[in-house]
Amino acid sequence: MQVDVHLHSILQRQTPDGLLRRLDVEMPEGSTIQRLIDHLGIEIDPEHLLFALNGRVAHPDQVMADGDEIHIMVPISGG
Amino acid sequence: MKTWRVNAREQTLTQEAVPETWERLGGRGLIARILVDEVNAKCDPLGQENKLIYAPGLLVGHRLSSCDRISIGGKSPLTGGVKESNGGGRTGLQLTHLGIKALIIEDQPAENGTWLLHLSKDDASFVKADNLAGKGVYEVAPILLEEYGKHVAISLIGPGGEMFLTGAGITNIDKDGVPSRICARGGLGAVMGKKGLKAIVIDSSGGEKPPIANSKEFKAAQKVYNKALMEHPQIKVYAEYGTAGMVRMCHGFGGLPTRDFTSGDFEGAEDISGETMREVLLERGGESETTHACMAGCTIQCSNIYADEDGKTIVSPLEYENIGLLGSNLGISDLDAIARLNWALNDMALDTIEIGAALGVAASAGEMEFGDGERALELVEEIRKGTPLGQALGNGAVATGRLLDVERIPAVKGQAMSAYDGRAIKGTGVTYATSPQGADHTCGLTIRAKIDHLDPKVQVENSRTSQIKMAAYDTLGVCAMGSFGFGKVPETIPALLHARYGWEVGEDILMEIGQEVLSLEREFNRMAGFTAADDRMPKWTTEEPLPPHDAVFDVSPEDLDSVFNW
Repeated sequence: MQVDVHLHSILQRQTPDGLLRRLDVEMPEGSTIQRLIDHLGIEIDPEHLLFALNGRVAHPDQVMADGDEIHIMVPISGG
Repeated sequence: MKTWRVNAREQTLTQEAVPETWERLGGRGLIARILVDEVNAKCDPLGQENKLIYAPGLLVGHRLSSCDRISIGGKSPLTGGVKESNGGGRTGLQLTHLGIKALIIEDQPAENGTWLLHLSKDDASFVKADNLAGKGVYEVAPILLEEYGKHVAISLIGPGGEMFLTGAGITNIDKDGVPSRICARGGLGAVMGKKGLKAIVIDSSGGEKPPIANSKEFKAAQKVYNKALMEHPQIKVYAEYGTAGMVRMCHGFGGLPTRDFTSGDFEGAEDISGETMREVLLERGGESETTHACMAGCTIQCSNIYADEDGKTIVSPLEYENIGLLGSNLGISDLDAIARLNWALNDMALDTIEIGAALGVAASAGEMEFGDGERALELVEEIRKGTPLGQALGNGAVATGRLLDVERIPAVKGQAMSAYDGRAIKGTGVTYATSPQGADHTCGLTIRAKIDHLDPKVQVENSRTSQIKMAAYDTLGVCAMGSFGFGKVPETIPALLHARYGWEVGEDILMEIGQEVLSLEREFNRMAGFTAADDRMPKWTTEEPLPPHDAVFDVSPEDLDSVFNW
């Protein structure tokens, strides 16, 4: 399955073409968000991360489906 | 520490001992206490009876990172209720170095005119300042720094406050002397304008830091707090992206105000994001800064300097709320256009949230096309010119709706909502509805909570806890960005209070302070005539679905009425 991953702020990926903040990721069916984090090599403790799966707050053990949109964030407060 | 009472009619200063019931309060809490004790809640906020109060927070004075904020308050001419608005910069620090626990400005001048209040060691004097009348803050601040010395703190109003507009704030200069740290909300600039004051210059030369009961203990707690702050992952986000890092976050939850709060999904969100802003500033260079401190000693440095293509400063800082209300809320996806709007409003010392929401209402009424940055700037200049539409815009979203015959207004208790749509982030909607201050995210933002923001049943507790904590942090003088450091090491709060004041306080001190403050604020509002019916989101938010989730605000009135049951 493929998920639409949005990486926020310091989680963006450095590539030869610059920082990448959005990518399509192939994952095995039934993958959890935690598995995606491991796959992406994100080292920040999930306790300090916030996930929005299709616009709703999600937890690391939640299972994703094909075509899901997921935002991975280091949450902040406003300005 | 003393209370300095200044009479704007007699132009006199009285220094008084601090009453016992005020001693354990500072900042926002002390303002609420003084309003309850001394101000007729039913008075005309722009009349003689209202008081303008400056109160540094309890931890202000020692350059503790993110803990030197100034609270300014009075009865709000915008909401008709209690008002406290806080900001960074130099003002809080220097007031404490003069030994000022609270500065209370009373009455109004007998004759029209413009004055400057100069505070120095054991002295306050009024200086005629007609030469500064009508000038923007960016012109006035350098004049005053030249005249009174680069080291002074300055708190001043712009043309907005001089025109007594209820969207006017009071600006403080930052550590670099730039007038950018605005206590924006609730129309306090108009209250200052009615006191005949263009500026307050604070020269703490010869003063000293407020006393510390046990400096060894203070330093030990400071070290633990600083370490928690520096090790927190958020600090890197704030330093590199500033609060603008919120754009994609709020958009990700479908709550980014778009085209006068008609959608939470803005097609230009990526273009106005903190990530894009950082790329633009790094590429432009020159005077651009992605990382900048507003207060001396701040280790977070969430501020920035936004420069144009030639590397010349347009505005500093460019923050999330401004991007939300002046950008997506107006359908504008051009950061340069947003920055120019921001500068123009800053120069008049107007609240960018209030005026941004008012411009959205004006756009819905056909006064501008959504997305037209040049037209938005023309409308902002109408405020400076004092045209009827300009006056309505300067008086905020509700006044603009009244002039243009629009009933659908994004405001609670007369104050415009911040850049989180309360239908998608319902806990923040609860805060908007019930905060004694009116709609204001700084009174209890909930977007970071790991709960379903769309579920109406789980929002009240979240908003309650957040409102209590924010009321307490605002009383301590702690910036919202510093609060996550204290969140990791909460034991440092009682430790710092014990070290500074010798108070024996328990681990629940934050909740105790916050509850006391909210109770005082609600008491003032009750005396002013507010009831439970005022603790509601506008009816249209309960009926009009917000894309992309088609969410309405559906937290029940019973649940809203339970927010302050503790």
